[in-house]
Amino acid sequence: MIKVNTEDYPWQPGMTVRSLLDERLFTFRHIIVRVNGEYVPEEHFDKSAIHDEDDVIVLHLMAGG
Amino acid sequence: MKVLTHKQELCTGCLDCEVACSQAYFKTNDPNYSAIRIIENNRTYRARKCTQCGECINMCTANAIYRDRNGVVRIDKKKCVGCLGCVGFCSELVMFYADDLDVPFKCIACNICTKACPTGALEVLVSQVKEF
Amino acid sequence: MGAILKQYSYTPEKIIRGYSGKSLYINVSDLRIEEKELTDFMKEKFIGGKGFDLWYLWNAVTPETRWNSPENEIVMSVGPLGGITQYSGTGKTLIASISPLTGIPIDSNAGGYFGPLLKFSGWDAFELQGKSDKDIIIFIDGNNGLIQIEEGEEYPEDTHLLAEELTSRFAVDENDMVNVSVVCSGSAAKHGYMGMLNFSFYDPRRKLCRFKQAARGGLGTILRDKKVKALVVKYKGITPNLNNAADISTINKVGVKYHKEMHDLDSKQNKMRQIGTANTVMIMSQYDLLPTRNFQTGGDPETIKISPQVFINEWLTQGLHDGCWYGCTMSCAKCADHFLLTSGPYAGERVTVDGPEYECVAGLGANLGIFDPQAILEENFYCDTYGIDLISFATCTAFIMECYQRGQITQEQMGGLDLRFGNKDAVLELLHQMSRGEGFGKLAGLGTRKLKKIFVEEFGADPALLEDIGMEVKGLEYSEYAHKESLAQQGGFAMATKGPQHDEAWLIFMDMVNKQIPTFEDKANALYYFPMFRTWFGLVGLCKLPWNDIVPSDNHKTSEPAKVPEHVQNYVDIFNAVTGQNIDNDELILQSERVYQFQRVFSVRMGKGERKDDYAPYRSLGPVSREEYLSRQELYDKQLRDLQGLEPESMNLDEKIAKLRAYREDQYEQLMDAVYRRRGWTMNGIPTPERLKEIGMDLPMLLEVIEPKL
Repeated sequence: MIKVNTEDYPWQPGMTVRSLLDERLFTFRHIIVRVNGEYVPEEHFDKSAIHDEDDVIVLHLMAGG
Repeated sequence: MKVLTHKQELCTGCLDCEVACSQAYFKTNDPNYSAIRIIENNRTYRARKCTQCGECINMCTANAIYRDRNGVVRIDKKKCVGCLGCVGFCSELVMFYADDLDVPFKCIACNICTKACPTGALEVLVSQVKEF
Repeated sequence: MGAILKQYSYTPEKIIRGYSGKSLYINVSDLRIEEKELTDFMKEKFIGGKGFDLWYLWNAVTPETRWNSPENEIVMSVGPLGGITQYSGTGKTLIASISPLTGIPIDSNAGGYFGPLLKFSGWDAFELQGKSDKDIIIFIDGNNGLIQIEEGEEYPEDTHLLAEELTSRFAVDENDMVNVSVVCSGSAAKHGYMGMLNFSFYDPRRKLCRFKQAARGGLGTILRDKKVKALVVKYKGITPNLNNAADISTINKVGVKYHKEMHDLDSKQNKMRQIGTANTVMIMSQYDLLPTRNFQTGGDPETIKISPQVFINEWLTQGLHDGCWYGCTMSCAKCADHFLLTSGPYAGERVTVDGPEYECVAGLGANLGIFDPQAILEENFYCDTYGIDLISFATCTAFIMECYQRGQITQEQMGGLDLRFGNKDAVLELLHQMSRGEGFGKLAGLGTRKLKKIFVEEFGADPALLEDIGMEVKGLEYSEYAHKESLAQQGGFAMATKGPQHDEAWLIFMDMVNKQIPTFEDKANALYYFPMFRTWFGLVGLCKLPWNDIVPSDNHKTSEPAKVPEHVQNYVDIFNAVTGQNIDNDELILQSERVYQFQRVFSVRMGKGERKDDYAPYRSLGPVSREEYLSRQELYDKQLRDLQGLEPESMNLDEKIAKLRAYREDQYEQLMDAVYRRRGWTMNGIPTPERLKEIGMDLPMLLEVIEPKL
């Protein structure tokens, strides 16, 4: 089990930042991803593995109206 | 279209061009008032000056930038409001400003620096494109 | 040109550190024109912009004043930063009045050149009071120091014609057109309560007038009720430091830095320069947040037809400067050129449509079940030229459509209009009726709150259902964000002082997606900070979009990226550079809070500033209908299970809806308690004397209002 934005979420082997974003339908481009407190740049989304028990934050910087 | 060009192989970095430009337009020797900036890198010298690309024309927030009949990009001082948008937008970083000036300034291919240059490194070229 | 009724000469004051030191007062009952001095008290407590507007308005009205009383004022002001040319978004005018929809103060903001030109003409603020007996035009010539009031009967009503005529009339030649700005409304503003104000600026490339709107609250209705057809200001000679800033060097440096940021990053971020605020439409739909069919759901697969890319590729002219004041490189006021109108009095003409903004695509599109870009643009055009607030129109029409869908009103009762979701022709016809003041359009223009009453009393509709689905608070319609699952945004809307406009707080993603504000205290802190911060823009003359619709490339490294700290610092630096003061982030919030609390007490004074006025229709809090519950069944069943310890499998649908409702309404009550505490209010929503004293606003006039309510 991992945490995504403080909530429990099921983990699978082979999960990457990219696959998690796709699964969660986090299509918004302007996001900040931190795994266990470490910032992950966009270029590394495909390669960055997410491990079981990881704490993932996906901050959407949505300006809104 | 007229545009100022610079040959690195002839440039000695004497900066006479900067002095001539800032003197002519702003009566000072201060390179911050020159529309040509010589950048040194390991004893070779590049010149930063307007390429007359015209990227600033459509983005000008006061519709104050235009091409004259020589294709040179000019600022209409009567329309410019000093927003400095062109300074921030210039991809070549060759639109300059100073706090005591109302309007930014740039190279207008006037030939003052080419005449001041002792080695012939600077030349205003006239290209064939004439449709403006 | 009509007869000149009055002329007044004055000496335009130079602007020093952002202020001229004078405000203008015009009474159109007796054509009295006066000059008032700005006081140190005003500058200290109210700063400018909305602050000045509310101060003057308070002193003009009594608790008995109604929107159409002669003593009601339309007050407008820019603020000390208004009119600087070097930073983006520095041309906002703030306007306040007692609203026809709510009966309490409304404040609204608009871009366009009017406010800065007004200030440079020598006026920090402008009060318009009284009522004329015939249509008039008021002209302010800031170069010659002349104010002229003339008859205006013969000018057209609709903005796109009226503003062109007036701009041409007062400009001496083509180059002079940019020096003229017009404030006006449109034909619909004579008939309904949702009339808005258009603020013009001349586009020298397109050679026509463009318009921004002070849309919310019915300001255009008030203008036309006063029989003022238009305000015109002219000032020639914009230079980089007309505000006589203390430190032009800092302003220049920060400006250039921001322009470069726009150049380098906008196309990778929100594409404001290409599409403007409508860039969020697809995202909102993908995250189930696009208000669809009267806020019933959060999106629709057909949204792809009205996506930003469709507008960029097929409708909006690209590559030209589209800022609504000099120096705005965010340049987000996009428009559709040579747009062919297919309905109404201007059918067959090609026009420039200012938009669509996000609210237009969401409101006039998805929320009405219309997924047709041509229809959206045509609705946008007619709302603009008729002087109709398209947010109120969209949310009110969505309400009408749902009432019709649910059999609460009949087509016959709507005069034959088949106003079902998706019927763009009926929507356009409704707009034309509002312009003519005929048919069902005459009723529709009165707004959701009035319609609820009429539908119940005259058409026999179900009052409880209408209360649930009529999206208004305090009489003002909600703006276009689906927020059923965001408790924080529910509070952000319903507890906003003027009514449910999102300019106080926009917390949907922070709350629902990022989960950054899980507890009541977290939400209350957000509902304290963001309204306070956003209020500040309205005090100084700034547009909020450049604050966070683009962020620096290293913003993600900061501790609070949602606040965009570098941009906040830009604002602090620019404020100090213009005014010569030395504020910091805390002082900025304090400046805002003074005006924020003042506005709340003002609303109490006018009868709608207490807990009872801060409740939301249930459609805002949760699923009203079975279809709504079923559309998010998994989520709702899970909540019943996890949060309430219930067993949804053993409950029928109506039971589940009722239990969820009870839970959510209780959650909202608890949120109110937490927010009121954080804002320094009593549990009845009244600002306390202690809080007012803390922020230096324990003024006798305020204490007098709150003391009996404590």
